[in-house]
Amino acid sequence: MQELLQQVLSGIASGGIYASLALALVLIYNAMGLVNFAQGEMAMFATFLAFTLLGRGVSYWVALPITIAIAFIGGIVIQRVVIRPVERAPVLTLVIVTLGLATLINGLAGFFFGYLQHPFPSPFSVETIDIFGAAASFQDLGVIGVSAVVLVLVYLLLQRTTLGLALRAAAHHPEASRLLGIRVSWMLALGWGLASAVGAVSGIMVAPILLLEPNMMQTVIIYAFAAAVLGGIESPLGAVIGGLIVGVTVNLAGAYLPGVGGDLQLAVAFAIIIAVLVVRPNGLLGRRAVRRA
Amino acid sequence: MSAGYGQTRVLHGVSMSVGDGDVVALLGANGAGKTTTLRAITGGVRWDGIINFGGRSLHRATTEAIVRLGIAHVPEGRGVLTELTVEENLRLGAYLRRDGNGIAKDYDRVFGYFPILRERRKLSASTLSGGEQQMLALARALLMRPKLLLLDEPSLGLAPLVVRSIFDIIRAVNESDHVAVLLVEQNARIALDLSSRAYVLEVGRVAVEGESANLKNQESVRRSYLGY
Repeated sequence: MQELLQQVLSGIASGGIYASLALALVLIYNAMGLVNFAQGEMAMFATFLAFTLLGRGVSYWVALPITIAIAFIGGIVIQRVVIRPVERAPVLTLVIVTLGLATLINGLAGFFFGYLQHPFPSPFSVETIDIFGAAASFQDLGVIGVSAVVLVLVYLLLQRTTLGLALRAAAHHPEASRLLGIRVSWMLALGWGLASAVGAVSGIMVAPILLLEPNMMQTVIIYAFAAAVLGGIESPLGAVIGGLIVGVTVNLAGAYLPGVGGDLQLAVAFAIIIAVLVVRPNGLLGRRAVRRA
Repeated sequence: MSAGYGQTRVLHGVSMSVGDGDVVALLGANGAGKTTTLRAITGGVRWDGIINFGGRSLHRATTEAIVRLGIAHVPEGRGVLTELTVEENLRLGAYLRRDGNGIAKDYDRVFGYFPILRERRKLSASTLSGGEQQMLALARALLMRPKLLLLDEPSLGLAPLVVRSIFDIIRAVNESDHVAVLLVEQNARIALDLSSRAYVLEVGRVAVEGESANLKNQESVRRSYLGY
């Protein structure tokens, strides 16, 4: 029982990381009707920037906000320079562009930072604390806490501020939003910045667990896809719930299903994606079709 | 001004004016270019020629910039943001404004015009009926405090009683706030009642223009262009 609780808790911790990256995917999906395949690589690159700052002796809690700020600006720049010229292109073109972007960022990371694996520091101690008899690590609790803060901040921004309202309006109804004076093009750029910043947090949170290297996010992004699809690719709240479910499920499957272990966990994520697409293509919280009869 | 979509020209040298505080009707059959005229004004379609607003050229201006000059456009299909709630739609009407007190007063005012919107303000705008969506679109446009209001077929698909009340409100706003209105309508009779002047478009050209009261009484104009 205690072991189960421990597994669930560490599943929630990974789930928080997947949720952040899934939220980043959802933000961009809503803005342009497209999954950003470069999201994971952008997060990885930001994590390398944090790693560089830490290597220069900057303290963790200073490096974190600096990295998030750089990721935010970087996201805006990428949207302006790479995405905007092809904004009106067919979806397939955009998919290829984001795939190309992923490859490019991956290559740049290898070029600048090398392909060696680096241990990434965690601000949270590896010691454990007793919760209902289960040994919860401060590492897991810290990751859960940071993810929760990020998700709540994004929620407040989107739902409680005028800027968030304009972001949502621009994403769903660009033409009508322009007629209200909203600078739609800038809102899309801000959406990319926001997604990039949220993604950077997921990279920094996952790096201590996985070891930092240019391909670090390639499994994480699959879990994030699974989370986003499970939650309903358009729903920010769905991404969070999906992330937690995927994190816990994958962790439990790895621990208890014979033969899954660490190696086949990724297959569980694919199984979730396929199952959702077959059984409930709109996901748990996909667009509710509230229409008058 | 001429305009079109891609290679297709829709407007061939249309010339018109709307005076300060005027209500002008833009009439004509389907495909005459009424909607395109409005879209050209707010930069939604490529055009050449001259469009001035308050002495400023709108040439090459973006839609956002034109709206900021004080033009509110209720487009074809109403432009209601169905992903958002009624209240969020209204808040976006005041998106460009910074005068908190004035906004609060204007909320009370539009809720006075359209009490149903106050009742439904927490609901998704997608749950509103066609008439309620038109009210929402109009209320949102009024919250923008425009100098010029562009209305594209506000009567479309609505029950006669609802049309009547919406037109009464347009008239009231025009009289109290001196807002100029350029009104595109298929329903010529009601549009001529409201407006002081009118233009009739025929395949991208102005076929007839004049005082609304005169046009209403000219049998030939009524028969040929207005269909009643």
